[in-house]
Amino acid sequence: MTVDETDLRLDGNAVAGTLAEVFGFDLTVCWGGCAGCGATNQLGALLVYAHGMGTVACCPGCGQHLLRVTRGEGRWWLDLRGLAWLQLDEQARMTG
Amino acid sequence: MGRLSWRLATVAEVRRETPRVVSLALEVPGWDGHLAGQHVDVRLTAEDGYQAERAYSIASAPDAARGGPGDRQGGPPEDQGGPGDRRGGPPVSRVELAVERLDDGEVSPYLAGELRKGDQLELRGPVGGYFVWEPDRGGPLLLVAGGSGVVPLMAMLRRRAAAASDVPVRLLYSARTLEDVIFREELAGLEAAGDGLTVTYALTRAQPAGWAGYARRVDAVMLEEVGWRPGERPLAYVCGPTRLVEAVAGHLVALGHDPSRVKTERFGPTGVP
Repeated sequence: MTVDETDLRLDGNAVAGTLAEVFGFDLTVCWGGCAGCGATNQLGALLVYAHGMGTVACCPGCGQHLLRVTRGEGRWWLDLRGLAWLQLDEQARMTG
Repeated sequence: MGRLSWRLATVAEVRRETPRVVSLALEVPGWDGHLAGQHVDVRLTAEDGYQAERAYSIASAPDAARGGPGDRQGGPPEDQGGPGDRRGGPPVSRVELAVERLDDGEVSPYLAGELRKGDQLELRGPVGGYFVWEPDRGGPLLLVAGGSGVVPLMAMLRRRAAAASDVPVRLLYSARTLEDVIFREELAGLEAAGDGLTVTYALTRAQPAGWAGYARRVDAVMLEEVGWRPGERPLAYVCGPTRLVEAVAGHLVALGHDPSRVKTERFGPTGVP
């Protein structure tokens, strides 16, 4: 069997640690809205492609890129233009 | 819930589960407990500084890590000196992972092949509250596993047993062969307890002589035969290789199940059950 893009597709669960590191919240249980189709999802349900260059999380409804995270040279780069909104639940705040 | 900082965990036990899977019992200082279904990130650093991170599901029940005198949630940890306590240091808990060796993997061949008792590795977590089940979420439950995707589902079954929950559960577990089934004896024991768990295997590659069970990949017919009717409003947790997870989730929704009650966790190209 050959490995293609389908096999490499993960979901928000896989990047819970990275997103927590950036945002300080467990984003997998937080809700976000897609700026493209309007779908609302917990970020754990997003489709994720994690490459060496960074991570892209997509809307499971329409495939729009909701969130791009890249790290390099001591910086985090975030592209959030696909997200209409993001709700951070206090109960999802991480510690230490 | 959960911690962000990397911590040094010590391997307390390495147990071979199948030809390709080992269970790793780790002693983790300052562990605050976890929920069934969560995972940890493991980080390895090479001599030249190159780092690789991977997520591994926790197999142990939260109760197995909790409850000792050394645990923060079990009461004041100071001056009680239990087995989980190291005087003067943070409380230590035991957390179990199960790791499948991927031949072309960067991390798993080390974890599942080279790691020995007493070795240390960097870990953070628990993380990921999305793919989680606790007894108060109810059921009935449909758990569908492909290969090592059974690991977080095993944490849920262990949690359920430890809590003496009678939530009815049907586990449908797809593996290549019977030898590749992880936790087979323990699953048989849990099922034999007769408290509402049934375990069904689908062996996709080879079957023992006289095998009367499923001998193909999970499909819609199988899910209809093994699973609950949509009207029973089950909670479904599907975990395994991406192709299996997406096929199963698609079948469940097509069968009439509420998409918001179907939770998925994709492991990527791990294994080919």
